[in-house]
Amino acid sequence: MTAVAAALRWAHLLFTFLLVGIFGLTLLAGRATHSTPRSWQARMLTWSRRAALAALGSGVLLLAVQAAHVAGRAGAALEPSAWIGVLLATQFGAVWLLRMGVILLLAALLLLREREESTADWAALRVEGWLLAAGAAGALAWAGHAAAVEPGGGLALAGDLLHLVAAGVWLGALAPLAALLRAAATPAGADGRPHAVLVVRRFSRLALAAMLTLIATGLWNTWMQVGDLPSLIGTRYGGLLLAKVGLLVPILALATVNRRRLIPALSGEAATVGRPAMTRLARFVSFECLLALAIVAVVAALGVTPPGRHDTPWWPLSFRLSWEATGGLPGVRTRFLIGSQIAVVGLLALVVALVIVRSRLLAVAAGLLLLAVGLGTALPPLSVDAYPTTYRRTTVPYHASSISRGLELYRGHCAACHGAAGWGDGPAGAGLPRKPADLTAPHTAQHTAGDMFWWLSRGIPAGGMPGFAGILSEDDCWDLINFIRALSAADGARMLSPAVEPNRPRVIAPDATIALGPMPAKSLKEFRGARSVLLVFFALPDSKRRLDVLARSYETLQALGTEIVGVPLDGGGGVLSRLGGDPPIYFPVVTEGSDEIARAYGLFRRTLSPEGMTPDPPMPSHMELLVDRAGYLRARWIPGAGGPGWASLPVLVAELQQLNRETPAPPPAEHVH
Amino acid sequence: MRLWRVILLVNLALAVGLLLGYLAWGRALDATQRALAELRGQAVPAGVERVLRARGVVRAVVPEINVIVLSHEEIAGFMPPMTMGFRAQEGKLLDGVEVGDVLAFTLRGVPPNLVLTELRKEGKL
Repeated sequence: MTAVAAALRWAHLLFTFLLVGIFGLTLLAGRATHSTPRSWQARMLTWSRRAALAALGSGVLLLAVQAAHVAGRAGAALEPSAWIGVLLATQFGAVWLLRMGVILLLAALLLLREREESTADWAALRVEGWLLAAGAAGALAWAGHAAAVEPGGGLALAGDLLHLVAAGVWLGALAPLAALLRAAATPAGADGRPHAVLVVRRFSRLALAAMLTLIATGLWNTWMQVGDLPSLIGTRYGGLLLAKVGLLVPILALATVNRRRLIPALSGEAATVGRPAMTRLARFVSFECLLALAIVAVVAALGVTPPGRHDTPWWPLSFRLSWEATGGLPGVRTRFLIGSQIAVVGLLALVVALVIVRSRLLAVAAGLLLLAVGLGTALPPLSVDAYPTTYRRTTVPYHASSISRGLELYRGHCAACHGAAGWGDGPAGAGLPRKPADLTAPHTAQHTAGDMFWWLSRGIPAGGMPGFAGILSEDDCWDLINFIRALSAADGARMLSPAVEPNRPRVIAPDATIALGPMPAKSLKEFRGARSVLLVFFALPDSKRRLDVLARSYETLQALGTEIVGVPLDGGGGVLSRLGGDPPIYFPVVTEGSDEIARAYGLFRRTLSPEGMTPDPPMPSHMELLVDRAGYLRARWIPGAGGPGWASLPVLVAELQQLNRETPAPPPAEHVH
Repeated sequence: MRLWRVILLVNLALAVGLLLGYLAWGRALDATQRALAELRGQAVPAGVERVLRARGVVRAVVPEINVIVLSHEEIAGFMPPMTMGFRAQEGKLLDGVEVGDVLAFTLRGVPPNLVLTELRKEGKL
């Protein structure tokens, strides 16, 4: 089915482009006066009639295929009701109606065969034809991937529209141009040579502009649909785009030869220089046309392939370049600086080579050499090991429930070697060829979540780590990765104190579901950008007096833009009844799923005290965490852990005021990177 | 007819067609938005007595003024989920109601003056 859809798209694109190209090219040199170009122009009119009809036909077939696709069964392709459904209820249908209306109008205009009595008539028909055809080509942007880009869809559409029209102007004119050149290159068509030369000269300039537009908008579209290098070289969509570029290279080479060699020779002496040059040019243009057919085939395939941004990249190389992972290592910065400077000099030499005439070859060679040496110096230190899943994006968000599941899995599968606290000191790890990794070490920043996914599923044979692909599901692996991320974050959070460190948001607060009885569950993330949150982890009856204080101060804290969320540490059964109504507590208290929040956030109990350095410090019976508006953990108070902390309300209020004075930090990234 | 006149007519037809299409699109959009607004219950007439049912959990009881504070779910067509006080129609309705009770309750009256007329305990939190 997709193959049929792609083939139809291919045909439809070609006919639409051909229409744009025919009218564009005919208009370039005006109405012909001699018989050969006149007959060529008449032939182009015939071509345009057929192309318009073929575009209509392929469009109708595309609608049938789309109807079958939407209905999910092949039979729907022949059902009028399915067609009407697609036309009236989908964006594809609306765009289709508009485009087919335009092409129908164009076809009617061409089939009318009105007499062209004056040059005004002649030009009016072709200008109108070009406008309608370009409209039909450009409107395709609304039926493609560009229409689905959010946000910034307008810019994506504009880029795609320009790309489509420029493609029509250049690519659609190749076949008509080849026909003209072939006709004018024969001895019988000698009267057409001046006209052909004029068309070629003007088209050469137009094609250069169109090609530059195509390259610029193509890069822009790639950025919109692919976004990053892993998606470019690691997905099917990216592969097709690279194939497109690969097909473009010989076209550009041919175009350069045409511009430099053949076009200047066209006006040479007819028998010895001019006519052979024109024959050869006709052949080259035909060849370009063939390559262009292949490019459009790739484009048609792209249309039925999910964009790289929305696909899972499969990294094909065993290394990747990363500044974040290596920038801190000794010597890397220096080598990168030196190497990049050499490369810049090399680039300069290449630019100079474009300008100078004498010893150009030498400049090019020197430039390439310097570029190679520079990149060879700068890039190798940046390389770190990579795996096929390095750029896999997690499907499981950084959420307390995931971390809590990950903790359970960790205890069952990992703690034996990596140790209860993740320090790599488990009893079973002692006999392994390599000491198990310390999962809290800062070097975890060098690894992407996808790296960890690879090790978890395939293992590390050299180190003795087994692969868990058969034991853990994909979601299990992501839960574990979220847990390891939280474990590492909690190690960094040991320095949290009751005092907010101004403007230093570092530890991301994992998301959590705040469910209170019959109220719809809210997520902690929903407070981002609106309120800071005081997460109060409590156990009754020890915390009762503190909760009374908070209940009485709730209005004050709300006025400061802070929400209080109570999370019972002891399971939460009947927690509201146990809290009682004196004083009444109006802030949300989690009544369902509190244990997973407690378990995930319990990781953040570790402090800098001697007790916090033991593998499994006891869970305090009361802990308060302050989450700022951007979603970062900023302060922590554990009663009895040195100093009065927030026992006195004015101290807490001062910290909240400090948060309110800060300029908000950017929200944390959704996933581990 | 001269060809350029034909083309002029074609463009005129195109412009009229586009305009009509644009208007039809706007009408369809309006209809969708109206339907959405009705679904959200914004089109409820004012000044009419209504009966509303929802569930909530008791956060506080103030028998002196016949008020209970509930954290309630969305009350369809009236208010989003929130924690707020409701006045009971009669005091004895609140007898035996404790903090933490999950209630299914009924409100009656002309918005915004609604009173709690019925409640049924569904559980305890």
